Amino acid sequence: MNKQPRTGLALIGVGTVLTSMVLSGFLLGYATDAWLDTRPIFMLLFGGLGFIGGILKVYRFLVEP
Amino acid sequence: MSEAVEAVEHAAKSGGGGTVEYIQHHLTNLCTGADCKTGGFWSWHLDTMFFSALLAFTIIFIGMRIGRNLNTGTPSGFQNFIESILEFVQGQVRDTFPGHNPLIAPLALTIFMWVWLMNFMDMIPVDLLPLIGGLIGVHYLKVVPTTDLNTTMAMSLTVFVLIVFYNIKVKGPVGYLKMFLFHPFGKFLVPVNVVMTLIEELAKPLSLGLRLFGNLFAGELVFLLIALIGGTLAVGLGALFWLPLQVVLDLGWLIFHLLVITLQAFIFMVLTIVYLGMAHTSDH
Repeated sequence: MNKQPRTGLALIGVGTVLTSMVLSGFLLGYATDAWLDTRPIFMLLFGGLGFIGGILKVYRFLVEP
Repeated sequence: MSEAVEAVEHAAKSGGGGTVEYIQHHLTNLCTGADCKTGGFWSWHLDTMFFSALLAFTIIFIGMRIGRNLNTGTPSGFQNFIESILEFVQGQVRDTFPGHNPLIAPLALTIFMWVWLMNFMDMIPVDLLPLIGGLIGVHYLKVVPTTDLNTTMAMSLTVFVLIVFYNIKVKGPVGYLKMFLFHPFGKFLVPVNVVMTLIEELAKPLSLGLRLFGNLFAGELVFLLIALIGGTLAVGLGALFWLPLQVVLDLGWLIFHLLVITLQAFIFMVLTIVYLGMAHTSDH
């Protein structure tokens, strides 16, 4: 497989991945907060984690085919 | 009698209630089955099924006719047109899809043409087909299959099944499970990985289906609202102002919506290719 980074239309599909990862991070944080009664902490933590995870996934798909 | 005229008369009587009724009437499917009233599981939307099947058969019929009369020397205009669509889709697949799978290009072409044709039903004047249907005794008719959530979700779920199938086929069952367990944060945050990847995978078909439905439903609604300008306001001398306005607005929205339906069909196709492409990338 070639090592060229993917461009063009692959970028359209990648948007959904990034968004849904951030969203799922926040949802997970919200659920954890509701369980442990620690409102903002886990929401922020998992939200940030979701963002990093989304970037990681996108990077892995685009740059390392 | 046409819906618009009925709406006018009703509006004159009830003072504006007719517009709501007009819109609701146009957004009601021709339904049969046990759960039609409640919108439950056993409700068959006959108009959606009829028009989507009709358009599918149109594609098959035209494809067969073109295929039988292929001309390699000087192809006719229509064959040229079909070939240009074919080459366009093939180019997109070649650019976006990693690896090789003979199923992807025909799938993408089918999705593009079928979704485009179903969206194109929106371009037909909103009252025309329901009027003809009313004459032959069909009192509810929603002509655009993609404004029915059942159609778009059925297509996106089909794509979802294909995504799962090729994930398991390319990565193997263990590899697919590994994708849930160890992506994106490795082995230290397994519960987080599972939940995030699960939501992300489920968001794919959901966003695919809802995007198409939302765009087309909204477009249809705008057409209905524009039709109402001439239908309810153009009474007496007011028609001199409202009717030209309706024509101009309708033409503008028609041209814009032509762009929208093509874009939506294109996006549905591209996302299918990209998602299936993601399924085909094997893990190292």
